[in-house]
Parts: sequence; structure tokens; C-alpha cells
Amino acid sequence: MSQETQHHRGLFGQASPILVYTALFLLLAVAIYPSAVLAQQTNPLASDPRAAAAGGVIFRAQCATCHGADAKGISSIDAPDLTLMWTQPGISENRVFSRIQEGVPGSIMPSHDFPDIEIWMLVSYLRSVAVSGATEEFGGNAENGAGLFADFCADCHRVVREGGSLGPNLGRITLRRTQAALRSSVRNPNSTIGRGYKPISLTTVGGDTVLGVIKSEDAFSIQILDSDQRLRAFSKSELISSDRAIASLMPAFAERQLSEAQLDDILNYLHQQQ
Amino acid sequence: MKPGTQMTQKRKLQLILGEMFNMPFFAAFLFIFPAMVAVAQDDSGPNYGDILQGFSDPSRWLTYSGDYSGKRHSPLTQINTENVASLRPVWTFQTGTTTRGRGFETTPLVDDGVLYVTGSNNYAWAIDARTGRRFWQYRRNLPEDLTYGASAPVNRGFGMLGNSLFMVTLDAHLLAFDRRNGDILWDVELADYRVGYAATGAPLVIDGMVITGVSGGEYATRGFIDAYDPATGERLWRFNTIPGPGEPGSETWPNDPEILARGGGGTWMNGSYDPELNLIYWGVGNPNPDYYGDSRPGDNLYSNSLVALNADTGELQWHYQFTPHDLNDWDSNHMPVLADIEWQGQQRKVVMVGNRNGFFYVLDRVSGEFLLGKPFTGTTWAREIGADGRPIVLNDGSKGCVPDPWGSTNFMPPSFYPELGLFYLTARETCATFVPEEPSLVPGQASFGGVIFIDPEQGSGALRALDVQTGELRWEFTYPSPTFGGVLTTAAGLVFAGDHEGNFMAFDAVSGENLWHYQTGSRIWGAGAITHLLDGRQYVLIPSGTTLTAFALPER
Repeated sequence: MSQETQHHRGLFGQASPILVYTALFLLLAVAIYPSAVLAQQTNPLASDPRAAAAGGVIFRAQCATCHGADAKGISSIDAPDLTLMWTQPGISENRVFSRIQEGVPGSIMPSHDFPDIEIWMLVSYLRSVAVSGATEEFGGNAENGAGLFADFCADCHRVVREGGSLGPNLGRITLRRTQAALRSSVRNPNSTIGRGYKPISLTTVGGDTVLGVIKSEDAFSIQILDSDQRLRAFSKSELISSDRAIASLMPAFAERQLSEAQLDDILNYLHQQQ
Repeated sequence: MKPGTQMTQKRKLQLILGEMFNMPFFAAFLFIFPAMVAVAQDDSGPNYGDILQGFSDPSRWLTYSGDYSGKRHSPLTQINTENVASLRPVWTFQTGTTTRGRGFETTPLVDDGVLYVTGSNNYAWAIDARTGRRFWQYRRNLPEDLTYGASAPVNRGFGMLGNSLFMVTLDAHLLAFDRRNGDILWDVELADYRVGYAATGAPLVIDGMVITGVSGGEYATRGFIDAYDPATGERLWRFNTIPGPGEPGSETWPNDPEILARGGGGTWMNGSYDPELNLIYWGVGNPNPDYYGDSRPGDNLYSNSLVALNADTGELQWHYQFTPHDLNDWDSNHMPVLADIEWQGQQRKVVMVGNRNGFFYVLDRVSGEFLLGKPFTGTTWAREIGADGRPIVLNDGSKGCVPDPWGSTNFMPPSFYPELGLFYLTARETCATFVPEEPSLVPGQASFGGVIFIDPEQGSGALRALDVQTGELRWEFTYPSPTFGGVLTTAAGLVFAGDHEGNFMAFDAVSGENLWHYQTGSRIWGAGAITHLLDGRQYVLIPSGTTLTAFALPER
């Protein structure tokens, strides 16, 4: 893709039709465009709060078919959840810019010959929808939190390599979820259960009942991590029943078991573990 | 086929015959002659008559569905309900090219022990059907600024005639290959890919013509169906799926030439053919913009329709529109299935379609008359088709969820089992909310006209057997997720199907009982199996992920 094609095919290029996404976008774009410098290493719109809104309009028109209207991805076509990408190691705005511009070789993510300024608008939008507590203030005491985590959480959760596997790895979790969302999950674990952690109760032909979380499933078999944290697979023909309508295997922690102050300590501890 | 190729061979034969007649041992000639004729025929490849005969020679699979009817129903019976449980892989072929997010959607062609296979990113191969070893590979040098072709870099197969193979490309060209070496004989542009066109279907070869459609309905394009001369690549006719100003059908659009010129109506799946009626049956895709209809009031013919075209001229004989004024991207790009069945006491020539909008249809294929339309999923869009043949729409998507844009089924081929009167298709149960938004229209950029929210918690798939007389469900086998695998039936009472979890499976066609399954390791997407006979052994082939696997019974 050459600079030449970018210029004559871009929305603001001389030859492009005077058709704009919305009146809002037009106004924002006209206001932002003159101040921007093309092909920058850093986002020239980083400090402009209007850029994310303009990027959102472009996103819905050009990206949402694969990545979803909420940028959370569509798993059936392997389109990733973009709200989580900023937590990946080595990610940068510059890298996201290149990904949009160049596409991802070997995947259906195509290259895009949008003008640089529009790609930066998209980068700004993606920044704005990131599910992240990274900018939040953390109270509590991380040292206390480490002890509490070991006592209450580490049987099932781990931070990097330490701890159990029945629940998700909580390393970098404060970058992916807000404190409010994490609090909600501790108080009411059934509120959201992520893929790979959905609970199931299986009864085998031999009469055993096995509790676990579903890792994978097809028409003939199911793969789980059982409550003893052992990877097990069952042929559906050797099961009498399977019950998915059960509560999360994580216990709900009421305030009398874990006070708000203690929860603050744990969140602070987790935030330090990046 | 190169002009003159046959002449050259005839001359060769005359020369050889001349020498033979001079031979002192003339009696030997009488013994050798039949073998020589056979060799001469093999050299020239299958002709139109061979394709016309369809499954009568089960060592061949010469066109997308195995024959022109689109039934995908093979007469082979070596693999049957008793022994299918011992079916096992014989070889696998790895393509080395991926389509993340889509599938290995091809149907291999088979002739004389050689498979002709197209792959993702416009790779293609000739493969030894006995060992899976490759004779040659072709890879197209594609431009970097592909439009639609970049987001769906797939291909559904070759067409074949004589020593020529025909394949369409992601930059919207039609190519002719020499099947013996993979060399390109000619290369013609169907349309300008930079505007938004691409091509992914398997060309349909009929007498003296290669028929192909085109992709691009997500962009401001205008769809068409083309016929080309197999020898030269010269275009013989074009049918535009969106009428021009003043043409019949234009009254179903705003009176604006610009809107007509970018009305969509892609034709990216292939069609079927009735040689007696000399009609081609082809499905047409969504109008553009996909989800935003305010700028295109009216039925928007011939989007989301089945069209029947005169094969000689490309003229429209009749049409039937499944989804008038589509707002959900429910392209009608399906394999039309042709059959002669008893219908309410009379023999009728019908065409059957399992549609993305959730309805199974039976139409008279001579006249286009609507005979039956019944829902085969839990779609809330409509539950019945009125006496006028139009759907009674209950929910355009604004009253709770409707099937997602991938639809209640899609282009994955279905199958019809004539003796049982059952139509087998892959059904998808999904839940999507559509939020239309007026798009900007920029050449080379997609213009869906809104966004969709798909509920990931609500989705499943199923192989369903429908009674074609009533559209009623006879049996089903459910899959954990919405599935894109196609279907094949054989006269031994078997249904072969693939699912999104990667299982390739065999079922009892009558009872629906699962008799066998094999985990291929990657989802089966957009492809149906084929079967053929080689050295007296029946093979079944399925593409999956980046792998083509051949199955057979153990050798005794």
C-alpha cells in the first residue's frame, strides 16, 4: 500500500466523495485534521478527547463486522476481543497502528489503506474501550493482601505461576478488569463466568459425580478440569447426565468473611503483580 | 482447452494407425486397438457428455456437486451402515496455507486417479488420489490491496473440461489451467477488485461455457453472472443481478441510477443446471448496504433471489425472491437442488433451497411457482410464507433476536436423498440484534450499514433431515455450536456431515443414528464431502482446517 493510494482513497483526500460517517464525525475530523502530523511514531491525537468518538464511528463502519460492535470480538471467527489487547506484553499504540495498517498475515485481518489520521482515531477509540483498571487508584495494603490471597484465593487462583488452576490466572487482572468488576466477582461469582471456567456436574455410568469447569466440548466428548484440578475427558456415551445449571465453583465471599478493607488489600496486592 | 489440441491428437492417432496398418503382424493390432482408444480418450480429459452423465462413472467427480443437479447424492454403496464404523483415514494432504476465521471450503474434482483441489489464498494442486502426494502446486501472486478477497480468502473448487481446469480468484479473475502441469492457459478479469469485487465459487462448466459469479455485496458493487468461452476466455454473456434504470425489476428500487449501480447482489456461490430445460439456477446475495435499508426502499430485486437463466443467452426466465428488502445480510447464495419428485399426486420438476432466512423452499423449476416454504429453525423473523409467496415478516430484528448474518444455514452444501424424499442440511440457531446506521460509501471500503450484536451464550447447530413434501423435521443431530459443515449422502443409506468442532461423521439416513465419527482437528467449514471409487475401493474425502483427509474401509 503506497502513500499515493492512501491519499487519493482516504476520506479526506481530494478525490474522495464528500460522504462522511456522521455530522459529528465531520465536525470532529475537520477540527482535528489540521493539527495532526501524518506517519507519527506516537498518537498525535492522544490528548484530544474527540478522537475516540471519531474513531468509534470508523470502527462501527469498518471493523465491527468481525470484532463486534462492542470491540469484544467474535470467537466463532477467531476475531479477538480488542478491549483486552492493551494488557498484552509488548503492546503499544504504534504497534496497534501497524496492525490496522498492515493487517495480520495469515489471518483474515486485512490491510487498510486509511489515511494515518483515521488510523490514529481508531487507536484512540480502542484506548477508550479498553477494559482496564490501570489508571485507577488502589487503596489497601499489598503486604496484607499477599497473606489474604494465600489464605482465601490461592487454592484455585494463581498469580503468574503460584497457586491453583481451577479459576483464572489473576496476574495482570487489574489491567483487564476494573476494581468494581473484581469486587462484584468476589461477592457474587455467578455474575460473570468466563469461557473455560463454566461449571458442570457430570454423572458417569459407574455412578460417580464429577464437578469441574468446562475446557472444551464437542458432540461426542467433553474436556474438563475437575474440582481436584485434574484434567479429565469423558466420552458422552459414558455419562448418564450432565448439569450445567449449577453455581460457580467459586464460593461467594460475604463481608463477614472478607471485609471491604481486606478486599482492598487483595486488590492492591494483585495490582502490584504485573 | 487450447484450440487445436484435439486436432493434434487426432493427427497423432492417424499417424500411429498408418504405421500399424503397415505392420506385418496386423493381427496384433486388433488386440491392441481398444487399449489405444482408451489411452487417447484419457489424454483428452472429460468432455461435456461426461459431466452430463454425473455419477454414472463413480470413479469421477467432475463438477462441484458431482452432477448438475446439486443433490450431492452418490450411488456408491461399498461403505454402508454395517461397515462404516470401521472407516479410517488413508492419507492426509496438508495445504500449508491458512484462512483464519474461515475454512478450507473446496470440493475436489476427481478424474483418472487424480484430484484437482483449490485452496485458500488461491493456491491449487493436482494430487495423487491413492497416496495424497502432489503432482503440482499453483499459487497466485495476489495484489496487496485486495478488498473483499482479503477478508474471505477462500475458494470452493475447480470447474473442469477436457484438459482444462477453471478457477476464480480473490482479485476477481477467471483462470484456465492446463491440468497436466498447472500452467495458466488464459486469465480474464471479471471485475475490478479495487472497487470491492472478489470471486470464490467453483465455476460451472456446461456445453461450450464456463459460468461464474462474483463476490462483493458488502461493498458498493453490482453483482452479475457471466459465461465465458472455455477455449479462449471470451465473455459470451452477462446477467446483471441488479437491473439497470428502466429495466424490469428497477421499479423495486429508488429511481436513482447511482443506487442501482451499487445495489449489491453478489453471486459468489455456484449454481446448478437443468440440461433439458437448458436453465441455470443461481442464488443472488444481499442488497448493499447490508443492514441499512432506508436508502433503498422497495423489494430490491434480484437480491436474495433464485434466478433461472437461459443458458444460451443469460436471459432471465423467472425469479423467486426469498427475502424481499433484506436487512440482515441473508444472501441467498446456496446450492439450488434440482429433483423430479411426486408432488400432490403429480410428477414435478422442482428446485429446493434451504435458505439463510430460516425457511426450506420447494419451487417449480419450470415456472418458478412457489410450492412450499417452511421454517427449519426457531427463527422469529417469520413463521410462514403467505399464499402470494411472500414471507409474513414478524420481526425485522428490532423485536428481539433473529438469526445472525451468517443465517439459519449458509452456502455449505446440503444433500437430497431421492428414495427417502429427505433433504439434509446444516441448521444454525443463533441470536443477533441488528443496529442499522447509514454508511458512507467509499469505493474499496465495506459498507455494511450498521452493526450487529451476537449473543455468544445462545448458539448451537444441528444436522437436520427434512421431509420435502411438508418441510417437517424427520430427525436431527445437534452440535454444541453453530456449524458450517456441508452434507453428502450415498445410496447405501448414509449421510456424511462435518461440524464446527472438527468432527467428520456418518449417520443412518433413515433413523439419524450416529454410526461413526472422526476428529479432524479443525472445524469443517463450508465444505461438503465427496466420494469416489478407485481400484475398486470407495474413498470419502473431507477438507478441514488446512488438511484434506481421505477415508476408506480397511483393505482385506
